[in-house]
Amino acid sequence: MKKQLSKSIIMASALMLASFSGSLLADAAGDISVSDAYVRATAPGQANSAAFMTLNNGSMHAYSVVDAEGHAAKAVELHTHINDKGMMKMRRIDKIDVPAHGNVMLKPGGHHVMLIGLKQAATEGDSIHLSLVFNDGSKKMINVPVKNMQMGAMDHSKDEHDMHKPAPKKMDHGHMH
Amino acid sequence: MNKLHIAIIVLTLGIVLGWIASTLMPTSDKPIALPNVIASAPTGGDFSLTSADGAFRLKDYRGKVVLIYFGYTFCSDICPTNLALMSQALNSMTDDELTQVQGLFVSVDPERDKVATLKKYAQHFHETMQGLTGSPAELAEMATRYGAAYRKVEGESEGGYLVDHSSNTYIIAPDGSLHAILPHATPAQEILKVTRKLLAES
Repeated sequence: MKKQLSKSIIMASALMLASFSGSLLADAAGDISVSDAYVRATAPGQANSAAFMTLNNGSMHAYSVVDAEGHAAKAVELHTHINDKGMMKMRRIDKIDVPAHGNVMLKPGGHHVMLIGLKQAATEGDSIHLSLVFNDGSKKMINVPVKNMQMGAMDHSKDEHDMHKPAPKKMDHGHMH
Repeated sequence: MNKLHIAIIVLTLGIVLGWIASTLMPTSDKPIALPNVIASAPTGGDFSLTSADGAFRLKDYRGKVVLIYFGYTFCSDICPTNLALMSQALNSMTDDELTQVQGLFVSVDPERDKVATLKKYAQHFHETMQGLTGSPAELAEMATRYGAAYRKVEGESEGGYLVDHSSNTYIIAPDGSLHAILPHATPAQEILKVTRKLLAES
């Protein structure tokens, strides 16, 4: 009887260990990489800003970002824009899907991480720590540089559609469970 | 006369008196209807709004090309995107051209956007740009004539209300007429082209 009990305890522990290590091996935070992330620098009097980035999912699992967190602003929310016959509607959303073997772009005019009530102005050269929370509970810490929008005279050698985007840049990112 | 008759007379009198009172009430107590639908045939025209430096009257800007963008500083993406494009167009102009051009940011959120803030905000995009706002009634009247729409949306975000808004850039010719309406995210090159064409014609 005693032997049986200890056997089942060992079994249960083994199962727990297996599932735990399984989550270490494959979770959204590990499977998804973040590139081209930036926070738009704020103008004086502008209390809010937004973070944009590309989420790349090389795995066979579809994931969703379900929340974002950070201490740089009073509230950090997932938002999107809807262009309804010329009316721009910014709305809070519950999640941003990242398809298996695919990517999703958070970009101006579309999905973004909204930073509401920045505790200090977002200035070029600064960086803002954010965590992305995924549907499997895993979290990914990212350090997002602040970029000025290009506002200088137009450079005619460049594609005009890229003028208001900062130069793409790969970034380092943390990984947290 | 029985009690029922008296009751009916009192009730009728009450309704009539109530109706008279309501029609005599000053209309300014009524909430201002925001232009929440984009007008189909905007006419533009003169307007007077407020900046940190006092009244801004469009009629004082005859001879200049005036560029107008409607938005609010709470806007984290749409407004800065379009103002950066206007900024880029202004930064591509010669000093001589700049003396004949005026960029304006009109806040449709006077509740939160004060003129002192709007001045700094607008100047961030270009040193010559002016930030304006007005009373809700002034803004609604002017925006309607320009075909700009906006609508307050409560309860979407922890940061307070949001404002749905149209995102066009309006180009006023040197004679004060509404010349062109450029849609959201029109490239700076296009803003520059339209402005230069007007300057060349004037």
